[in-house]
Amino acid sequence: MTLAAFVDEAAIASGAAELRGAASTVAFDRVSVAYRGAVVLKPLTLEVAAGEILAMIGPSGSGKTTALRAVAGFVRPASGRIRIGGVDVTDQPPYARGLAMVVQNYALFPHMRVFDNVAFGLHARGAPKSLIEERVAEALKVVGMTQYVRRYPRELSGGQQQRIAIARAHAVRPKVLLLDEPLSALDAQIRRSMVEEIARLHAELPGLTILYVTHDQSEALTLADRIAILKDGALSAVGRTGDLYRRPPNRFSAEFLGRANLVPVVVESDADASGLVAVRAGGERLIVSGADERAGASRLLCVRPQNLTLAPDDGHTNRLAGTLREIHWQGELTHLVAEVGGALMRVVATKLPTTPTRGERLDMFFSPDDASLIAEEADV
Amino acid sequence: MSDAAASPRGTRVDLGALWVAPPLIALAVLFLYPLTLIAHAAVYDANDALNFAAAWATLGSRAFLNALINTAEIALAATAGSLALGLTLALIIAFVPFPGATFVARLIDTFIALPTFLATLAFTFLYGSAGVLNGALTQAFHLGDPPVHFLYSAWGVILAEMTVYSPFVLRPLLAAFSLVDRGQIEVASLLGARSWRIVRQVILPAALPAAIAGGSLCLLLTVNEFGIVLFIGAKGVITLPLLIYDKAIQESDYQAACVIAMINVALSLGLFGLYRAAARRLGA
Amino acid sequence: MLVWSRSGKLAVWTFAALLVGVVFLAPLAVILAASFAGQWNGVLPSSFTFEHYAQAGGGASGEAVTASLATGVVASLLALISGAWAALALRAQGGAAAQTLGVLFFVPSAVPSVSVGLGLLVAFSQRPLLLNGTMAIVFIAHFVLISAFSFGNVSAGLARVSPDYEEVASSLGARPFYRLRRVTLPLVAPYLFAAFGLSFALSMGELGATVMVYPPGWVTLPVAIFGLTDRGDIFSGAALTMILVAVTLALLLALERVSAVGAQARSG
Repeated sequence: MTLAAFVDEAAIASGAAELRGAASTVAFDRVSVAYRGAVVLKPLTLEVAAGEILAMIGPSGSGKTTALRAVAGFVRPASGRIRIGGVDVTDQPPYARGLAMVVQNYALFPHMRVFDNVAFGLHARGAPKSLIEERVAEALKVVGMTQYVRRYPRELSGGQQQRIAIARAHAVRPKVLLLDEPLSALDAQIRRSMVEEIARLHAELPGLTILYVTHDQSEALTLADRIAILKDGALSAVGRTGDLYRRPPNRFSAEFLGRANLVPVVVESDADASGLVAVRAGGERLIVSGADERAGASRLLCVRPQNLTLAPDDGHTNRLAGTLREIHWQGELTHLVAEVGGALMRVVATKLPTTPTRGERLDMFFSPDDASLIAEEADV
Repeated sequence: MSDAAASPRGTRVDLGALWVAPPLIALAVLFLYPLTLIAHAAVYDANDALNFAAAWATLGSRAFLNALINTAEIALAATAGSLALGLTLALIIAFVPFPGATFVARLIDTFIALPTFLATLAFTFLYGSAGVLNGALTQAFHLGDPPVHFLYSAWGVILAEMTVYSPFVLRPLLAAFSLVDRGQIEVASLLGARSWRIVRQVILPAALPAAIAGGSLCLLLTVNEFGIVLFIGAKGVITLPLLIYDKAIQESDYQAACVIAMINVALSLGLFGLYRAAARRLGA
Repeated sequence: MLVWSRSGKLAVWTFAALLVGVVFLAPLAVILAASFAGQWNGVLPSSFTFEHYAQAGGGASGEAVTASLATGVVASLLALISGAWAALALRAQGGAAAQTLGVLFFVPSAVPSVSVGLGLLVAFSQRPLLLNGTMAIVFIAHFVLISAFSFGNVSAGLARVSPDYEEVASSLGARPFYRLRRVTLPLVAPYLFAAFGLSFALSMGELGATVMVYPPGWVTLPVAIFGLTDRGDIFSGAALTMILVAVTLALLLALERVSAVGAQARSG
């Protein structure tokens, strides 16, 4: 089901105009949260620009959900302030902040029909009946669930319920939409199509700021304009999705956002004018991008499995030699694991001209642009 | 569901707390205040002077000591019996299922809704001197006197209480048994374990927390039981609650009644604490 | 699944049937029979009559039915409101204070009912509030005993309501009262019905406190039944007991119907 088929240009245009006025930024100003004496979120300073999707990702216990709940108002910060649209809302109760939230378990009110569920926020804020009817109809149209208006939640599937939950949030025109692992309860198949729907929804509503919490990095990569990676209650890395993926600033983000091969190297010479630098990995000399590097520094070379090829393609001037240890064909992709100087490197290929055998020597090629250097930290 | 987690900073008064006030005031006026008056009446005599002598006299009296012993004996026996009965039935209903098992469980559940003295009244018809059992036995064996007398002793109370309170043991046990992994039992059977061993080593450990919680609840309820004992009306079977009633209503000796009530309340609160601890610690 | 052989299963079922029959069904059956019995000297009654029920219809017994019903409905309603109020307030509070207060609200159900009656007798036979000899004191006694029970029931029910619903409702703009009215209470409604039903059953069977405080003009069913059996009139007592049981079960059934209809519309 494509969203486009149900989009009413006029309705969205008028909604969008209204939204642009209400579009809001979110600012964490040294926000920390403690629970029963233990610090769950260390002082966090983070800005979310108006109209963007920021994904907060991290393992369990990283504090990402706590940060979201602090914005919602369900958790009182131990220190710091939270600003929405420039206004300090830290002391405001949740119902006064002009937000809306969608949660993992949908939380559709089981005793109300779809119409009343979607109308709930408007009703609670005292909107007139005509506005309620108009907004509910439009919200259901946007998520493609118009024909289910009189059903009860128990009659809907998981994916359908989540769509209604999104419609319910959209109906109140929130300044910021909070999504707390909204797709985690759905089957993998449904999840894939829902991710695309959310992306389309955001494209149709340019004024809507979305704060998206998930532990699934592929959702973040698909949807987010920017990503904030949290670990153990602190911000590990934040940046535009593409930048963060191509040039991860630290080891944790390299390994959490996608898969990474990390090879210890030593910088041989200072960076040249074009931002390239030569490094030595075992016996090999490689050229990678690294604008500020100095000779003698030890770094981790980060190259993603899908950027390694088994033949010297265009521009893949770097070569690492290894021995093939494992090869797994998985339909769409073939996974190879090679040993290079005692460490394991992973390669992901869509097409292999020939199938290498275990124990064979394997040459892996990559382009300088596809690799980055990470400063080795003690333990981050 | 709180709108904000407890905040270490900020002394802002949370007016939301005041919402507890109305029911709390009702509790204080209608329950705590009378309770303190009982305590007061127990040790202050008619001239409003602190007088422990009367209290000690009551506590030392034969009537009180008998009642105390009776209460303890009956409660312990009834609890043990309820546990045995409840456990047996729960095991059968949960692990040897028969059609209508759920109906039986629900039937036993409805007993909780019925007044406790119903059991005693029924026993009068069943096991009384002019009852069904005695009638059948005298007829069958041509006896001169009705042979069965237990109704007019502590046993009558104990058996009636078992009837009434075993549902309180049955329910948590059934709930605990429904959580037992059937896979464990099947694997044990395949490995060669016979039923008794499975019961002993797989099922009972799972049931223990529920049994302890149910048992301590039973103990509390049987110590407090009044209706059954009143209806039995046997001279030798007087428990603490019945003694309080006798002293207050029959003899108008309010001070003695209050003294006994204080002991009864203290005992009950102690058992209540035990029950809460058992239910909490063992996660029943 | 513990017993595999057919004969073993039959043996166990027979044993269970005997147990259930003797312990639970026999008492019920015998009271039912006694309520209709004219003469009962041997194993079975020798004659049947409706006389006992006819007597129960009017006069003192009829009044007892009214008194029990009125007390039951009013006390249960008030106890439900009070217990639910306390449960909701404590849940919103959270924290150590709420836990201590929670225990306090449970205490009236732990204490023997006779002592509750004695307390009320002593407290309200003197200044400032004289209630001795009025029917209000009976209502109060039932209220105190039952509200602890409603509190426990509603608390347990509230604990099963996922906080997600209320949080999402808040985020959408619902103020606390609105949220209580349109989200929390509807979600906890089945437990409210169940609490009311069992509260009513408790009240109908209450004897210990009532017998300490009841005025002559307000005799409840259990007190009346005791009066009858105490003076030997056990057949009339049986009839009155059956009426008590019938009324109690009828209300429980009706509540279940109402609750089920509501649940059908909203189960999710």
